[in-house]
Amino acid sequence: MNSGPGLTLNLAGIPMKTPFLAASGCYGYGREYLPWADYSCWGALVLKGTTREPRGGNPPPRLVETPSGLLNAIGLQNPGIDYFLKQIRPGLEELGPAIILNIAGESIEEYCQVASLLEGVKEVDGIEVNISCPNVRKGGVHFGTDPAVVEELVGAVREVYSGPLLVKLSLEAGQIVPVALAAEKAGADALSLINTLRGMVIDIHRRRPVLGSLTGGLSGPAIRPVAVRAVWEVAEAVKIPVVGMGGICTAEDALQFFLAGATAVAVGTANFVNPRVASDLVRGLTRYLQENGFKHYRELIGAARNR
Amino acid sequence: MESRNNSPGGRLKEMVAVARNCYRLIIEYPWLAPPQPGQFVQLRWHRGTDPLLRRPFSIHRADCRRGELWLLIQVAGRGTADLVERGTPGMELDILGPLGRSFPHLEEEGLALLLGGGVGLAPLLFLAEERRRRGLPFRWLIGGAGADLLPPPEYFLSLGLSPQFVTEDGSLGEKGLATDLLQRFLEEERPSRVHACGPVPMLATAAKLCRQFRVPCHLSLESFMACGVGACQGCVVPIRHGEKVEYRRVCLEGPVFDGEVVDFEQWPGIDP
Ligand SMILES: Cc1cc2nc3c(=O)[nH]c(=O)nc-3n(C[C@H](O)[C@H](O)[C@H](O)COP(=O)(O)OP(=O)(O)OC[C@H]3O[C@@H](n4cnc5c(N)ncnc54)[C@H](O)[C@@H]3O)c2cc1C
Ligand SMILES: Cc1cc2nc3c(=O)[nH]c(=O)nc-3n(C[C@H](O)[C@H](O)[C@H](O)COP(=O)(O)O)c2cc1C
Ligand code: FES
Repeated sequence: MNSGPGLTLNLAGIPMKTPFLAASGCYGYGREYLPWADYSCWGALVLKGTTREPRGGNPPPRLVETPSGLLNAIGLQNPGIDYFLKQIRPGLEELGPAIILNIAGESIEEYCQVASLLEGVKEVDGIEVNISCPNVRKGGVHFGTDPAVVEELVGAVREVYSGPLLVKLSLEAGQIVPVALAAEKAGADALSLINTLRGMVIDIHRRRPVLGSLTGGLSGPAIRPVAVRAVWEVAEAVKIPVVGMGGICTAEDALQFFLAGATAVAVGTANFVNPRVASDLVRGLTRYLQENGFKHYRELIGAARNR
Repeated sequence: MESRNNSPGGRLKEMVAVARNCYRLIIEYPWLAPPQPGQFVQLRWHRGTDPLLRRPFSIHRADCRRGELWLLIQVAGRGTADLVERGTPGMELDILGPLGRSFPHLEEEGLALLLGGGVGLAPLLFLAEERRRRGLPFRWLIGGAGADLLPPPEYFLSLGLSPQFVTEDGSLGEKGLATDLLQRFLEEERPSRVHACGPVPMLATAAKLCRQFRVPCHLSLESFMACGVGACQGCVVPIRHGEKVEYRRVCLEGPVFDGEVVDFEQWPGIDP
């Protein structure tokens, strides 16, 4: 599909054809949706959270559906950075959209080791540092909640990685703005939010939590208003661009995030329901621009706050 | 605002109850490529967000010439109840598929034994028709709790198939468990391969018996799914890999797995 001139952007130094990103963990390593989606509608694909060592992930069941939502506890199952570089990386640039690799770790050294291995890797246009995965017991959320730790972590990654650096924030901190400011101060080029929200579902027949790891991260339309609010608060506080996400299924949903101040948006759970979601978003946003007399979607960013 | 899926759409032609809480759906569907027995589709039947996810169903029968997809659906919870409630002829259905790996060695000359428990018989109809089309020998056992929960023999006879039934209450066919009959078959008929689909306890027993008789077996497994295409790592089951147990995706590496490698001891939801 031709995405037209009104949707282009440069996010944190990465040129993109549309402001729509596939969210990390929901698009595998980028190739899984080739038979089902129109990749020309994505500005970027954010690939699965990758760690230094391979991770087996959490025991199943890992998924349970909730009202208009999905609770997941994958536990960052991934083959590790070496395997990624050797087996998955070659040819990624041929997919079309920019490629951003989400990285995770259990210590600052681990984050830095993974990031430094990505320095200068031409198939990877940027990295997204996940300081907020709710499904990793050691570390994970801790990194995301304390502004001082976030500043140290992001600063350390910044030193070893010179390319576009996104930081994915957690809402677990309660106060997201101080964490956002810490990441900005430490050298992040953009912020992604929100990650999933921690939740639990209990099976009343077995009388125990449904998920193998007891709790999981909630995503999908159920979390959208929380995400819009978080984007609103963070976009007001920082100067770097914000990538908004949480429950986006349609162009109308995405528009709320742009109007709240997001420069781009990411789509996760909606891919599972509608693999053609990116084409729908491009079509819907283009129509909205035409119908409302805008030349470029940029004119909408933060527009809801200027009154 | 959401457009139609660009992959071919399906249209519900007919939905009839064939057993208690169990419906056969005939869907007009222009197959782009012929599917294989054991593959499944991810079905979406409405545009709302609750229930949110698609639901996976085995391909019960595929008629590529007439452009038909058959599903056999048991009402198991909110999603399937909603589907059956909304299902009226002419309704549009969004179908993602065919997905997953099929039953292997379908072209093998030796006797194939098909074992279906309850609605797990669904993919085996497709398999049975495929064996018949190739003129290859097979026997088909169907087990269930009682006659009311299984499609009647006429359902299969109308398609020229005559599976053997076994029910726990003896209301249809022999009285007993499907796996009792499987054991007898393994002893007496020496099949060269077993293909099974059904409840986990049945599959676990079947795998054990087949190992005992050194007959290769292939099991179609189920798991809660989100994407259905390998992108989310949500649908994994424990699979033995040498000494190690690794999590493998039912949607991509399965749903059909070699009975030798499935680790039923670490199966989710089976309480220690
Ligand atoms: C590859 C595959 C093929 C299948 N083929 C068929 C088929 O041919 N006919 C048929 O009737 N059913 C089939 N199923 C099972 C069917 O997908 C579930 O019964 C259905 O998704 C339940 O949805 P629900 O909303 O009605 O139930 P829910 O209210 O979501 O749950 C009710 C019960 O069903 C279980 N369940 C929910 N979703 C799934 C799921 N995706 N897979 C397995 N169990 C689930 C839950 O754990 C719970 O115990 C298949 C499943 C898989 C994975
Ligand atoms: C199955 C699944 C796996 C995820 N894995 C990751 C991950 O590895 N790293 C990460 O930063 N976020 C991960 N996320 C969070 C998403 O990227 C996204 O922030 C969140 O789901 C909210 O967006 P959505 O409602 O559009 O899904 C995952 C989400 C889901 C549903
Ligand atoms: S359902 Fe997503 S990987 Fe299998």
